[in-house]
Parts: sequence; C-alpha cells; structure tokens
Amino acid sequence: MIEFVLNRQLICTDKPAAMPLLDFIRREQRLTGAKVGCGEGDCGACLVLEGRLEEGRMQYRPIVSCLTPLANAHGRHIVTVEGLNLRHLSPVQEAVAEHSAAQCGFCTPGVIVALTALCLSEAPLSPEKAIAALDGNLCRCTGYQSLKKAALAVAARLPVERQNRAIPWLIEQGWLPAYFDAIPGQVAQIPRCSPAFAPGRPILGGGTDLLVQQAGQLMAEAPNLLCERWEIGGICEDGDSCFIGGGLPIAAILENRTLNRHIPGLGRCAPLIASTPVRNMGTLGGNLANASPIADLAIIFLAFETRVLLNGPSGRRELPLEDFYLAYKQIDKSPSEYLEGLRLRLPGARRLFSFEKVSKRTHLDIASVNTAIGLDFDGETMSRVRLSAGGVSPVPLLLRRTGAFLEGKMISESVLGRANALMQEEISPISDIRGSADYKRLLLRQLFFAHFLKLFPEHLSFENIHNEGLLAHEKHSRFRAREGAIRLSG
Amino acid sequence: MANPDKNKALNTKKLKMPFGVPGHNLTEIEREVPADEPSALPVNEKLSVVGKRVKRVDALQKVTGAAKYTADIQLPGMLYGKFLRSPYPHARIKSLDVSAARKHPGVFAVIVQGKEGEQKDQYDGKELPRLRFAGQAIAAVAAESMNIAREALGLIKVEYEPLPFVVNLDEARKPGAPLVYEEVIEDRGSAGDVGVTAADEQKGNLRGPTTSSFFGGPRGDVEKGFAEADVILEKEYRTQVQTHCCLETHGAVADWRPDMLTVYSSNQSTRDTRNDLVELFGLPTSKVRVVTEFMGGGFGSKFGAGETGVAATWLSKLSGRPVKLMLEREEEQISAGNRPNSHQILKVGAKKDGTLTAVDLLSYGTAGVGLGAGVGRVAQDMYVCPNFKMAQYDVFTHAGPGQAFRAPGNVQGAFAMESLIDELAEKLDMDPLALRDKIDANDIRRIQRKAGAEKFGWKRRKAGADTGPVKRGIGVAQATWPRFVEMDSSVMVRINRSGSVEALSGVQDIGTGTKTIIAQVVAEELGLKAEDITIKIGDTNYPDALGSGGSKTAENITPPARNATYQAKLKMLQGVAAAWQVDVEDIELKNGEVFVKADPSKKMTFAEAAKRMPTSQVIATASRTADYGGFLSGSWLGHGRLGAVQFAEVSVDTETGFIKVERVVAVHTCGRPINPMQLESQINGGVIMGVGYALLEDRVIDPNTGHQVNTGLDTYKLPYAKEIPQIECVLIENYDAHSSTDVAGIGEPANIATAAAIANAVYNAIGVRIYELPITPQKVLAALGHI
Ligand SMILES: Cc1cc2nc3c(=O)[nH]c(=O)nc-3n(C[C@H](O)[C@H](O)[C@H](O)COP(=O)(O)OP(=O)(O)OC[C@H]3O[C@@H](n4cnc5c(N)ncnc54)[C@H](O)[C@@H]3O)c2cc1C
Ligand code: FES
Ligand code: FES
Repeated sequence: MIEFVLNRQLICTDKPAAMPLLDFIRREQRLTGAKVGCGEGDCGACLVLEGRLEEGRMQYRPIVSCLTPLANAHGRHIVTVEGLNLRHLSPVQEAVAEHSAAQCGFCTPGVIVALTALCLSEAPLSPEKAIAALDGNLCRCTGYQSLKKAALAVAARLPVERQNRAIPWLIEQGWLPAYFDAIPGQVAQIPRCSPAFAPGRPILGGGTDLLVQQAGQLMAEAPNLLCERWEIGGICEDGDSCFIGGGLPIAAILENRTLNRHIPGLGRCAPLIASTPVRNMGTLGGNLANASPIADLAIIFLAFETRVLLNGPSGRRELPLEDFYLAYKQIDKSPSEYLEGLRLRLPGARRLFSFEKVSKRTHLDIASVNTAIGLDFDGETMSRVRLSAGGVSPVPLLLRRTGAFLEGKMISESVLGRANALMQEEISPISDIRGSADYKRLLLRQLFFAHFLKLFPEHLSFENIHNEGLLAHEKHSRFRAREGAIRLSG
Repeated sequence: MANPDKNKALNTKKLKMPFGVPGHNLTEIEREVPADEPSALPVNEKLSVVGKRVKRVDALQKVTGAAKYTADIQLPGMLYGKFLRSPYPHARIKSLDVSAARKHPGVFAVIVQGKEGEQKDQYDGKELPRLRFAGQAIAAVAAESMNIAREALGLIKVEYEPLPFVVNLDEARKPGAPLVYEEVIEDRGSAGDVGVTAADEQKGNLRGPTTSSFFGGPRGDVEKGFAEADVILEKEYRTQVQTHCCLETHGAVADWRPDMLTVYSSNQSTRDTRNDLVELFGLPTSKVRVVTEFMGGGFGSKFGAGETGVAATWLSKLSGRPVKLMLEREEEQISAGNRPNSHQILKVGAKKDGTLTAVDLLSYGTAGVGLGAGVGRVAQDMYVCPNFKMAQYDVFTHAGPGQAFRAPGNVQGAFAMESLIDELAEKLDMDPLALRDKIDANDIRRIQRKAGAEKFGWKRRKAGADTGPVKRGIGVAQATWPRFVEMDSSVMVRINRSGSVEALSGVQDIGTGTKTIIAQVVAEELGLKAEDITIKIGDTNYPDALGSGGSKTAENITPPARNATYQAKLKMLQGVAAAWQVDVEDIELKNGEVFVKADPSKKMTFAEAAKRMPTSQVIATASRTADYGGFLSGSWLGHGRLGAVQFAEVSVDTETGFIKVERVVAVHTCGRPINPMQLESQINGGVIMGVGYALLEDRVIDPNTGHQVNTGLDTYKLPYAKEIPQIECVLIENYDAHSSTDVAGIGEPANIATAAAIANAVYNAIGVRIYELPITPQKVLAALGHI
C-alpha cells in the first residue's frame, strides 16, 4: 500500500510503485490542474509540491510529477495547484494574473506551484532566487518577462526573515489554505515502510532517468525503492571521512551544511545542474549508477578521494570512484548490488575546489563538457591534485597524468600550458550532437584555465596566459582577467 | 465574388475618424460607412476600457488550474487512442495485419490510415499509402486504457519494404536522389501558403519555381537594375527547421453520437475543424460541434481537424464511445509541423546613395513531405526597388510535414534580407538606419526606427570596440507582415434583463487574449467594465468566426463585437429613449450609467435600463462590414502592412563562442492597441521565439537512419527564464480608420525581425558574419578560426 496525503485527502492505493505520480493525479484522482507537457521532466507543466516531515515540520519542495514514481510519494504531502486554492486568489495567483503572465495558461499551474515553493522555502530571498525558482518551467508564449515580473512581485511581498515559520505566516496572511496546519499530524501517522532490498528486481531512485527511459516496463515490476533509504543514509561525518547516502537527492547534497563547510563552493554548482525540481528528485545513486560520461555529481566527487560503497546479496564492498567506471555505460556493479553511498575523504583546510560546465544552453542542460578540480595549496605549490572531466571520454574521467604533473608545482602560466598539452593527450572526445571533438577539446582547455583563474586570481591573468602563447589563436587581442565569459558558474 | 453589402451600401453615413500617429501626425479623416455601424471611436486616450492594461478575463481559471484543456476532458466511458508510427523514413508496407489488435481485450476500435472506413483484418500493402517519413502514422487503436492501447499497437503486424530515403535539403536536390513522390502532388502548401502553387512544375524532389506571392510577381528588369548598380552584393543564407513546441500537444476528444458529433480539440480554428469533419464524414454542419475552450498554444500548427481530430472521430464512430487521442511530445516533434528550413541566394544592387536598383532571390527549402517553404515576401516587399524577381523552390524530403509557423516564410526571409541590408550599409559606409530611411517607404517604420533608436541608444554602435575576450555588439532588423481583412466572422451579444451581458462567438483564444479584448470592446460600448462581460467563445454552437492566425484575429473579431454590441444597445435603449423622449443616439453609456448626453439629469443605472427591455434578452449578431478604407468585399484581403523594428544587443565570448542576448528593444505598431499588457506579452513571446531560433532551436535528423535525433525538449533546446534578455516594448499607436475598432494584429510581426537583429549584432561584436542559423558557439568559434 502506498499512502500519502494529496492536497487535503489521505490516499491509500495499490497502484504500481513506478506509476508516474502525474498519471495517478490526473487519471485516478481526476485532478487536471497539473498538465502533461513533455512527460520527461523538461517543462514543469506537471509541477507539484512534495512535503516531507523533517524534524517535526513540513518542508516543501517542487518536483516534476511526470517522473515521480508513485511509491516515492509514500509518507509525503503532495500538493497540486488545486490544493493551493483559497476562497480568494492567493498573492501568488494574483501576481500571475495581474502581470498577464498566464497567456495560453498551459504552463500556469506549474508556475503557481513553483512560485508557491519559493514562498515556502525558508532560504534567504533575492531577485535572482525568485527568478531561479522558475528555472524548470517552460513557457512558449510569454517570453518570461511577465513571469519574471510576477516572481519579483511575489518575492517583494515576502518577509525577509521567514526562518522556521514560513507556513504559519503564509496561512495567517492568506497565502496558503489553513488545512496545511493539520498536515504534519496526518503525515506522521502514515507508517514508514522500508522494504528489504530484493536482489534481481530493478532499482529505482528518484526516477529522473529511469522513468524517462522505461516507465512502461517498470510498471509491471516491483522495483527496489532506493530513495526511501535516504533518511537512513543521510550525510554523516565520521572522523576524517564523510558518508553520503546514495538515496539523497542532488539538492540535498549540494546544499548540505556539513559538506559545504568542507567543500567551499559546492552549493554554487547547483544552478548549473538540471533544474530546481529535478535536483529535488534525482539521487546520488542514480547519477552515478546511470553511468553517463557527463554525470555532474560523478565529475564533482572525482575531484576528491571518494570511495563507492556497494551492497548486495554477497555483502558490502567498496572501491575508488574512478575505478567504478569501466567503459562506456559500464560500471563495476552487478545488477543485484546497489549503491549505498559514497565515502568522501574530508578535504583539509588547504583544499580548493572548482566545478565548471558548458552545455548548449547555459541552464537546465546536460554538459557538453564538465570538469572539476580539487587540490591542496600551501601558498606555494599544489599537492593531491585531482582533475576530472566529462564529455571527453567514454566515462567520467579522472585525469591522473595531468593531476600528477601538477603536483608539487608552483602555479604559473607555463605550467598550466604544459598541463593542458598533457590533458589533451589524456582525453578522447568524439563528435556528437553536443559538439565536435575539436570543439570539446577547446572547451575543456578553457574550463581548465577557468578553474585556475577562479581559484588563483592573484597568481594568474588571462593576459599572462595569453602572453605565454597558450591561446595562440588570439595573439592580436588582449584579455581582461576575471572577465572571461567562461564564467558559467558562480 | 458577390458583394453581400452592395444593397446596404446605399444606406450610409459619414464618420469623422482619428487618423495617423498621436504625437506625430494625428488628424481626422472622413469615412462613409454603412448606416448601422457604430459611431467613430475616439483615440484611446479618451476611452475608459479600450487601450487599458486590463487583466485577462480568464486569468482566474488559469491560475487556479480550473481551466479545462483538451487533455483535461474526461467523458463517461471514454477510450484512449494511440497511433502506430512508421519506424522507417521511407518504406512500402508489404502487408498489414491488425487482427490480433482487434481481438485484444479492452480494444474497441482499430483504424488503418487512409482505409478508416474498411474494417478488415488484413491489408495488402498495395492498397496502403506509402510511408514517407519516420514517425508517419500507419494505424490507430482505441482502448480502455493507454497501456492496453500500447499493447495493442504491439500486436499489429506490419511487413515493411524499406526504401532509400533522403532527409537533407542539399542531398534531395541532387539528380538521382531517392524520390519522395513519384507523382505530382495536388496538395497546396501546408506551411502557410508560402510559395508553391498547384501550377508549379514538379521535377525530382523539386517543386517550382514560384515567382510570385500574394503581393504580386516580378517587377521591372532585374538585369538592367544590376547594370545600373554601383554596388552588388550576393550572399547565401541558411536557416534551420524549427518546431512549434506548443506546450500543449495536438490532440482531440471525439464523441460520436447518433444525433451529434462533438469534438473537443486543441486547435486554432473551431470553424475550420468543424468544416473538415463535416466534409470528411459527410455530416450536416448543424450536426458537428467543435469546442476549444482553452488551448495551450498553436503558433500556426493547429488549423483544422488534423490527424488527431480525424482519427479520434473515426475511432469514436467505430467504437460508439468517446475517444481521447493526445500526441506525446515525441510524436508532436516528429509529425505535428515545423517551420521549413531554407537555403537562400540573395543578390541586391544599389546606387552609392543606397537606392536599390535590383533584388534577386533564389530559394530552396524543405517542408518535408509537405509544401510551402517559400521565403520571398520580405525581399519582395520591404524596400522600394523597381526591379525584383524571385524563384522559390520547395524540396521534398523524407521528413515530417511543415506547417504554418508564426510569420511563415517571413522569419526565414527577414534573416537573409536584413543581414544583407546590414552588409550593404557597411559597404556603402552608411549607418544601417540611415540606409533604411533611404530605401524604406513605410512611414510607420520610419517613426519606429526613430523611437527605437532613441530608446535603445543606437548611437553607441561602434564595431570592434571591446578589447577583452567578451565582445559586445548591437544590431537592428525590420519586419513586414500583411494586414488581412476577413469579413466572415460574427459575434453575438446578449443583454439580459438582469443587466448581465454576454458575448458569444466561435472564435477561440489561443493564449493571445481574444476573450479579454472582446470583453473590453463590448464593455467600452456599454459603459461597463471588462469583467462585467461574460465571454463565451471557442465553440461552434456560437456564431461562426475566423481562426486565430496570420495576426488577423484581433483585427477581425473586434469590429463584429463592437457592431453587435452597438446594435444590441440600440434595442435595449428603445424603451428608455421613448420614455425620455430622445433619440437612442442621444443617449450615452458610461461608468455603469445611462444618460442623455445633452441633459445629464436624465439618468439611470445600466441595470435599471436593462430592466425596461421589452424582452428578457436583447440579442444582436453582427459581422465586420465593408472595410472603411474602401475594400468592399471579400475575405483575406491584405491592406497595408504591419511594420516593426527590433534592436538587439549581444555579448559574444570569443573564447567559448557563447552568445548572450543582453537586451532587445522591440518597436511595434498594431493600429489601435486594445490591451497594451497583452500586446507586450505577445511581443515578448515573439522575441523569445526569435532568440530561440537565432541561437538554440534546430531540428536534427540523422542522415543515416532518417530519424529525428532531438525529439524531446531535453535535446531540442528552447530558451528558459534564465536565458532571456531584457526586453523593452515600444508600442506606437496608429489610427487608419479601417473599421469600427481600427485594430491590427501583433503575433507574427513580433517574431520576424529578432533573429536577424541578433545576427547583425553578433557581426557588430566580432566582425565576422555568420550566414547560418542557429548561431551556435561552435559556429562562432569556427567563424573566428579557432576550430
Ligand atoms: C530535466 C532533467 C535534467 C537533468 N539534468 C542533469 C544535469 O544537469 N546533470 C546530470 O548529471 N544529470 C541530469 N539529469 C539526469 C538525472 O536527473 C540525474 O542523473 C539523477 O541524478 C538520476 O538520479 P535518479 O535517482 O533520478 O535516477 P533513477 O532514474 O532512479 O535511476 C537511474 C539509474 O540508476 C540506477 N540506480 C538508482 N539509484 C541506485 C542506487 N542507489 N544503486 C544502484 N543503482 C541505482 C537505476 O537502476 C537506473 O539504472 C537530468 C534529468 C532530467 C530529467
Ligand atoms: S510534463 Fe514536462 S516536466 Fe513533467
Ligand atoms: S502561457 Fe502558454 S506556455 Fe506559458
């Protein structure tokens, strides 16, 4: 039995675990506010809020219901646009109406949900954050101007300090229906279920890859639900290492306080990965096990000494993340093993980190090329250099030789130039829809330099890199440090 | 064509109407109009509802999720329909066996495309249509659930004979290329009546050349024109295939009953859809009802019943149950329409002072298995040039059919023409705006250029000013689009004794705000507020009206709305006028009150006046009558042009090739603006579609498999909220006394110039011109010689 609260109503259903939540909402429950725009997580027309009870309080996040396996709603509060309706229009609905931001209106329910999620989040607000709240909503009509205005108008009406009391405030002020008050009690009564791992059955995490690829097939099977495990997994520091649960969603990892304390800048990677709703769903386990050569979390964690923890019928084992990837779409994991999590050796205080990504579209796109670097720096030389790159070989690649070359070296333009030459030998990009091989080589070179320009602005400048002859083609032009448009991150 | 208004023409009156652009050249003009037309509407400044930023009247339904779109329709006993599609880009079906699918439990109907009426189990391939693109519909089933429908499709046995195919525009033109059609195609263009006529020759995969458009044919002597030129430029341009990507896919719910066929459908014309079904199924017009209450975007791809509407209707007819058939995103991308690509060779000759002496266009484009890839109207029409000729070829390929797409032909054409004019200006050492002032006879665009240049800060334009790797640049481009009169459109207005008012029409609101502008026009005439008017549209049960497309809906639906309101108002006021002993024309309605103009002490509320109506409702139905400007009859009559000028600012990273559009200033004119807020929304949407076209969007078909590679919205790239520039709209009000509302459209002009303006800005930034859309980072780097 899958149990959850849908808007005001307790749902108990025996529908298949992998049935898309959107189908359940629309077909079984006849709530047609959430729309089918793409069925693949790209458009946000199907957005709903997912509320979880965390430390006695509900935390709401937007998710794309078209890719949410029904079973992942278990024990949650799911809210569709209908569940946000009051007797009057909520200030969110009002803002969208007032700014003429509902043109054909097909994207509108998703927009209302996304902006309500913004109101429910207790993170500090800024105009950029308000607009970023719509990063997963596709609109073909409005040109987004009116949507942006609506988002800014909503943000302007929210108190800056909402810590720990967003929901009571929103109810008091007539932004949310009063029934939200009773939800924690209702959700708390739903029995937890953590079914034992059943080897041989498919493994389903957040569903953001699997439901795109084989939703129909999965419906017939009873998959292992591994995002249920994330409460168990969590993130815990243990001496000089840290365990990161495989069922954790991308957002929970990138925003985690412990991790951000050890890895400064981790949180700033988020806007470059997927969209707000997909980051709330896609798990670490799925990102790694999917074996994509451009998986962003794989590239990020390759920049650290990271071990993969696998569990299965024949027990637990662990191996370095770089050894996990064998060949294109092949990983060192048997079908009956699951990825329990990662063990990250906690970087010391001297460790610096940078992640860069270029895709066809700057936001909500998978990488053409992505790369991360982690290195220790004592003020003079580099050590323990780990440089990773995606999209330039059949697997997420740890550039061992380039890393080793950089170790013990001082930072200079000429060192980087030689490192680049080595790096170009280590990679083997192919031409595909994301760009030609030459183009990817060029991108990786630029991103490689971008790491260093970002981490060592005082040691390097575009101008010097250029003068060293590294960017040979641009001999006639001069470069301004820190102005490079390679700035895709941060 | 007979003129239905001919007799009435004797009975006319004279109106003094506003004429010109306020702040520039506003005057009055006298028009002789039919006697039952309403009085002249003053300029917007003097009005209370029209011209104001009124909130959409259907916003409430949209923001609460209550608005019902086609896919939201749920009827008792409804079945789900699904298509079986061709796995080959080109194949003959050897045999087809649907018997197992028919017998599958939960399946209620199976149809085979082209043989819907025949309910056989096996088909000999010879009787079936050839498969001409990967994804072409072969058959369809209706079943109790989507899963059963999918299973049933898997049970259909098809034997294919794959045939050689060609999906590339250039390859398809080569001698010996696999033929898409062996026979001459009768069908006219599906891509918006651009180019190609039935008379055009078809040779190999080439159809054409078409040498004329509805603006006419060749002019003067092009050879002579080039001989007189001081400068001649000849360049080649290429544009890509763009798909519509309406957020709501194509689809329909058909409910066939013995007494009535009702079809809910996501379409841009309830009338066309109904007429298609009437013709196809041999039903009386009165027995077919088409409903489109809310729809999620069309952009030209949703005229008529279409494949989904027809299949759903067959399946419903055969099963006796309602059938829902919505396309999935992938099917939408492959089969539901696109903007054809183009390869244009454009040559212009000019005098030293800029005067054009000759324009010559040769173009090729493919609308896949469809027709209508012409692009010539911009080259033909935008600038003064005595000598013009064009040859437009349609090229068949094994790809999904093109469909009309927001300013069909003009978007492709503007990219070439406006790029070339930019290049010409440089060659002549003239400012691009100054050159246009010289060669563009359109007065409105002259005003637009001036207003836009000021707002945008055009004076800053300098080439190659940036020394860093990120280069900024600015560019400008123009649009032209015809203004259409379509008189065959009606609106009914009902005033109820209780004081409530309704407007009813078959016209549909596809997101452009038709409901709201009708409400504004009706409210203005009755002295009420827009929200006081109940709008019932999108249903053929109401009076027939035009489809939404070609930027003609607002122009042609607001006059009938105003005329009907005026006539209903006269009926409503008869009793009051008699009691007050005044003429009905002496009564004014404003702010919810009814009073005598000359004696405001004679006054009552609108509701009181309504109570005195002799019948519980007064009803008037009207259509747009003779065009005031002198076009007396006929539909689809173009009069004048809708011009627009757009300015773009970009930054280009010469290291990665990334282009960011920083700012767009869009200067537009659409007669009398009814609702500036909705207009801005339309313009913003057009600009973003142009940004996507310029930089991101590109349908890719793998030449080895013939399959579209990017069928999802993850791989077919569209702009999202974070990609968009700052957009500023400048609306220039313009009155030319054409109708009782004097409105013109905006949809297409908003989309025409953007890509060209961006391309010109990129050139200004990096000093290398890119002749092919989309302008991707890789193309930028290649142009700069980096890869
Ligand atoms: C719109 C959209 C945008 C995206 N953008 C990005 C992006 O920018 N960057 C990026 O890297 N990815 C992106 N993705 C891909 C995807 O979201 C991520 O890879 C995500 O982390 C997958 O996790 P999941 O839990 O949803 O995987 P699922 O779909 O649940 O599973 C994926 C695969 O992993 C297996 N699996 C899942 N969990 C485990 C486990 N614990 N142990 C063993 N096997 C497991 C499954 O069996 C399956 O084979 C995007 C996806 C979408 C839909
Ligand atoms: S339907 Fe598009 S994201 Fe779910
Ligand atoms: S309003 Fe039509 S898609 Fe957003």
